[in-house]
Amino acid sequence: MMFDERKILLAPARRRPLAALAVLAVGSSLAMTGCAVANSDDAAGGTAGSGSDTLRVVLQQEPPTLEPCESNLTSTGVVDRSTITEPLIERNPTSGELEPKLATTWDSKDDTTWTLKLRTGVTFHDGSTFDATDAKATIDRAVNSKLGCNVEGYVFGDEDLKVKVVDPETLQVTAPHADPILPLRLSFLEVVPSETSTTKKVREPIGTGPYQFEKWDAGQKITLAAYDGYWGDKPAYAKAQYEWRSESSVRAAMITAGEADIATGLSPEDNIGDLGVPYPNNETVALRMHNNKAPFTDIRVREAVNYAIDKESIVKNLYGGRDKVAAQLVPEGVVGHSDSLKPWPYDPEKAKQLVAEAKADGTDTSAEIDMIVRSAQFPKIEELGQVIQEQLTQAGLNVKLKMLETSQHLTYQVRPFAKTEGDLMLMTQHGNQAGDAAFTVDQYMLSNGAQSAFGTPELDALIKKADASTGDDRQAAFEKVFAYQNEKVVQFAHIAHQTGMIGKSKSVNYEPNSSTGDELRLAEVTPAK
Amino acid sequence: MLTYLRKRIISSALPLVVVVVGVFALARMTGNPAALYLPLSATPEMRAEFITRNGLDQPLLVQMGNYFGGVLHLDFGTSLRTGEAAGAMALRAFPATLQLAGVTMALAILLAVVVGSWAALKPNGIIDRIASFFSMAAASIPDFWLAIVGILVFAITLGWVPTSGVETSASWILPIATLLMRPFGALVQVVRGAMVSALSEPYIRLARSKGSGQRRVITHHALRNAAAPALTVAGDLTVGLVNGAVVVETIFGWPGIGKLMIDSILQRDFAVLQACVLLTAIAIFTLNIVIDLLYALLDPRVRPAAAGRRRARRTETPPATTPPADAPTALAGAARP
Repeated sequence: MMFDERKILLAPARRRPLAALAVLAVGSSLAMTGCAVANSDDAAGGTAGSGSDTLRVVLQQEPPTLEPCESNLTSTGVVDRSTITEPLIERNPTSGELEPKLATTWDSKDDTTWTLKLRTGVTFHDGSTFDATDAKATIDRAVNSKLGCNVEGYVFGDEDLKVKVVDPETLQVTAPHADPILPLRLSFLEVVPSETSTTKKVREPIGTGPYQFEKWDAGQKITLAAYDGYWGDKPAYAKAQYEWRSESSVRAAMITAGEADIATGLSPEDNIGDLGVPYPNNETVALRMHNNKAPFTDIRVREAVNYAIDKESIVKNLYGGRDKVAAQLVPEGVVGHSDSLKPWPYDPEKAKQLVAEAKADGTDTSAEIDMIVRSAQFPKIEELGQVIQEQLTQAGLNVKLKMLETSQHLTYQVRPFAKTEGDLMLMTQHGNQAGDAAFTVDQYMLSNGAQSAFGTPELDALIKKADASTGDDRQAAFEKVFAYQNEKVVQFAHIAHQTGMIGKSKSVNYEPNSSTGDELRLAEVTPAK
Repeated sequence: MLTYLRKRIISSALPLVVVVVGVFALARMTGNPAALYLPLSATPEMRAEFITRNGLDQPLLVQMGNYFGGVLHLDFGTSLRTGEAAGAMALRAFPATLQLAGVTMALAILLAVVVGSWAALKPNGIIDRIASFFSMAAASIPDFWLAIVGILVFAITLGWVPTSGVETSASWILPIATLLMRPFGALVQVVRGAMVSALSEPYIRLARSKGSGQRRVITHHALRNAAAPALTVAGDLTVGLVNGAVVVETIFGWPGIGKLMIDSILQRDFAVLQACVLLTAIAIFTLNIVIDLLYALLDPRVRPAAAGRRRARRTETPPATTPPADAPTALAGAARP
């Protein structure tokens, strides 16, 4: 038989799986869109129409945490500092002066023990009163505990502070040795209530600032509300909202489209137009040369690098004239910056001559130089690397450009430095948030500094002297350090002091300053008339 | 069916373990992440303390043992970056990507079936040529560029949709439209090709001669047979979407697992990376099982029960009713007078 009649008669009714599939697909799509995106606010109750009393900020990345003792990390500090939490003493970014915040006065007879008088009438967001116990707890937690707070490594190193509560309004802090800039160091500590855990870091901060933490929709946004019990002036906006987009052109688009009021980390290439506001951001770009291999064993070659780079042209053509040619690692406004120190002039002939002299003396000037640059560290960094490579090649050097991502770049940036085939020349971007050259010089110029390729005993002595000086002496001593570096040590070829750019919608008033990238003080933002 | 499912689940478990072990070992070979988490001025003692605190100084096998021990208690470790539980972070981010990938694929498949079938009706006709052109373009356009241009045109210039984010239902439009292009483009080509083959089969002519309308011919006969290759490609594309929505997630600020994975790679956040990879791998293995089940649904020849019956028939002695091969057939017999 050709057919098996039993099979035909008993065959189950034909189903229509394809149609069923199509219906399932469409139905589930509609169902999924109907629901809001997982974890987001309801579409209806979302903050799309959040009203003009919410200040909307868009950042470059989601803060990994809002733990106040990590607030020297830019992505944490930009939300916390002076907005949710406050320090005892605060540095004015424009004048460089230290101003009272939660401490009203401070002084010391020997630069070692400091007595601080604390402000009264201050409460935390949880309603508790602020007094010296909280200040002591803050310092112990951030500096003396085993928490491993980032601010500890950045500001205090391995050293502990001795803290004593004299009375509820008076605190005594003793440094392990004379430290004229201890108040400046204290300005990095954001004050938290004494009940805050000393064994675990917290994700959601309680502070004394003008805004209190309200909600964190992980992955999406952070919401703050103005704190009614704030001791100072009430901020202009009742609510604040932070979102984040890693793509700078999208941040710029949000400003243009009116979806955000302030956007950080922009550049003119993002199409921000006149809604972009440039500001000097404390960052300086420089090349760090290692002298353990040829050709940088010879100081003349390092000098040649300085002469060979046309910094004026770079600043004008790559950065629209916004940046400023640099002669040292810290910009104006930082204690120790020398106004009289001139940048190395662009002199390609002199560069060639110096290279020839070194070669004649036996230095292998054709040895490979590995220029290590971090991808996407700042706008147009790859072009900058290429320009420098070209200019150094014209001076007679052999430069290989290597673009690396952050984690790999870091292995060349801090001790112990990773090995390179050729001589290492690292492009580094350094921001001196603190406003005092000690924070730069100790790291970058001491013989055993964490980011220092090499130093000399003479420079070390000058630095130690500067670290211990105060007032005008301090300024002069650090100026001497920078001048000495440029004349006798030449570890660096400085390129430029950079500018940052924020996007600012027409509906807000805000003047960015050098600290804007590290602490965006929402209380300084007001609605435009 | 259940036996089949059980077997597939068990056979997926081994590759899963291999994937996780592989990522575990490879991630740690990238070196010490301390430099990413500590300030640049941290002393060597602080770096050593960081390594010890996070158990990174132990031998690799010990670390792996600890990790899998934790996994058995559903503890996937802690994020170096945020201090939160890595498993919770991955689980929180995953649904957003699933929603995005799910809706995108459903729409892509639907549109591709419609356009591909339409194009296949008259091969090399005008519709076919237009569809080919657009589907090739769609499959080739880089999603990054499309996303940015989409924002520029539809969000900024026209103001029809938001630029990014997940606030409103309208926020879905640009991300899905961007993500849709490549799968749609690839699928149209596959569906069109499979439909052209299916439509040239003899059973189509038979169906038409029996009086079936065009619609029934397409949906009931041709599409059912063209579905298999389309399903294979669709399955591959969905897997690619779950992993590769990272560009769209990054640009539009979509809180999905793709972006979480990239960030954890760049930040050497081992626990989160492992949790993300584990979750994504489970999803992909599940997806493959689902695709196999769909095959069985669509094509009875592929069903495991059918395969069993075929095997059984081959091993039995032939039943007496089956005529010997050289016996005349009924037709042949009827032909003889």
